[in-house]
Amino acid sequence: MIYLFYILVFPGILFLSVFALAAEFIDRKLYAKLQNRIGPPWFQPLADMIKLLGKEDIVPTDANARMFKLMPLVAFTSTVTAFFYIPIWGERSIYYFNGDLVVVLYLLTIPTLTFFIGGWYSTSLFARLGSVRTLTQLFAYEVPLFMGILSSALIANSWSLSEIAVFYAHRPWFWVSNIIGFAVSLIALVGKLEKAPFDIPEAETEIVAGSFTEYSGRHLAFFRLSIDIEMIVGASLLAAVFLPFGLEFSAPIAFIFYIIKVLFIVALIAVFRTIFARLRIDQMVHFCWKYLVPLSLLQLLINLILKDILT
Amino acid sequence: MGLVDCIVNWGRIKSPWILHFNSGACNACDIEIIATLTPRYDIERFGVLLKGTPRHADVLVCSGPVTFQVEDRLKRIYEQMAEPKFVVAVGTCACSGGVFKGCYNIKGGINTAIPVSLYIPGCPASPKAIIDGVVKLLESLEEKEGKE
Repeated sequence: MIYLFYILVFPGILFLSVFALAAEFIDRKLYAKLQNRIGPPWFQPLADMIKLLGKEDIVPTDANARMFKLMPLVAFTSTVTAFFYIPIWGERSIYYFNGDLVVVLYLLTIPTLTFFIGGWYSTSLFARLGSVRTLTQLFAYEVPLFMGILSSALIANSWSLSEIAVFYAHRPWFWVSNIIGFAVSLIALVGKLEKAPFDIPEAETEIVAGSFTEYSGRHLAFFRLSIDIEMIVGASLLAAVFLPFGLEFSAPIAFIFYIIKVLFIVALIAVFRTIFARLRIDQMVHFCWKYLVPLSLLQLLINLILKDILT
Repeated sequence: MGLVDCIVNWGRIKSPWILHFNSGACNACDIEIIATLTPRYDIERFGVLLKGTPRHADVLVCSGPVTFQVEDRLKRIYEQMAEPKFVVAVGTCACSGGVFKGCYNIKGGINTAIPVSLYIPGCPASPKAIIDGVVKLLESLEEKEGKE
């Protein structure tokens, strides 16, 4: 019974969906405010979701119907599953084992693959171009993201998110050593979420909507929801690894701290979206491999030396 | 009308995503439509977003008379949109053919090719007129909810 509650209500599907829609609203409202406009009302993401759920589902004749319909659900499931291993109201998550950090990173890669497969099987030219760009981008941001996050795990001497949170909570000033890793991971996370300046796979001025060109109705709604949830899970992951504040308090206060940390990262992403224009795919790959990867290597070196000094 | 239909209709009214299609206009109406989408008028207040693909769009905003060249494309784009869908004809040419009516290559207004829900006259229609028209379209959806 309690497992059903975990999965369906808290911290499962219901809580995540509400939080994700709220985060999408904050993202869009902040984006509007920074552009000197009023912006959408508070219920806008919910209205979009309901409208899409009530629309006709079109599956293109040439598309592989089974894969086309399955992919939004796979994306949704994998992002929700990843959330169970992230500590949100204290130092421990509901389920943890040594190595759950790798599992979370793996589960966060699956949505990107579903965008590729969904776009590829919809057999539209624009969707296929978007899919290929999605994968090209994946090779650029995935390595710095992994190295940035794993280098902070190195110093904590554990690959469990809960253990990392415990380590940093008891040594409050250690997060300063991970600032480069935080910056690198945040930029890589923007690439993973396909937001500007890295929204190359769904560049609407070039390739209409990328992988989602042929999606409509319920399937599009689930893709949108899973991208929002991916934003929340990614922000929670960064918050758990790089911002270990307020974990020592009791559960409700630690939970409020968690919400503030996640919204801070969401706000940073909205600011990036406003102040940068879209890069080309080659510029993006160059940027990631020329600057982000060396920076994350530097972070790895710093943490190795620090670890040597400490032990 | 049941509760679920009411909620879905509310979602439809609050989130009209538009697709802009030029079916042979002189570009004046297109520039006004683009001006409507700028931060100055900020129609994201009403939930309006410009989408690139007909699959995502609810409202097809057409400008200009239908030429024989573009007729098939216009019909195909209309058929690619998911139900429920609405068409808005922006500008005098889109409403009736305007000064181009009777030309050798012109079929007529948008309504000669696809069904139109709303006409916004003007040469070109100003952004304020376009916003007013879209709001009227959404109000007509609300009235429909009251009747049924």
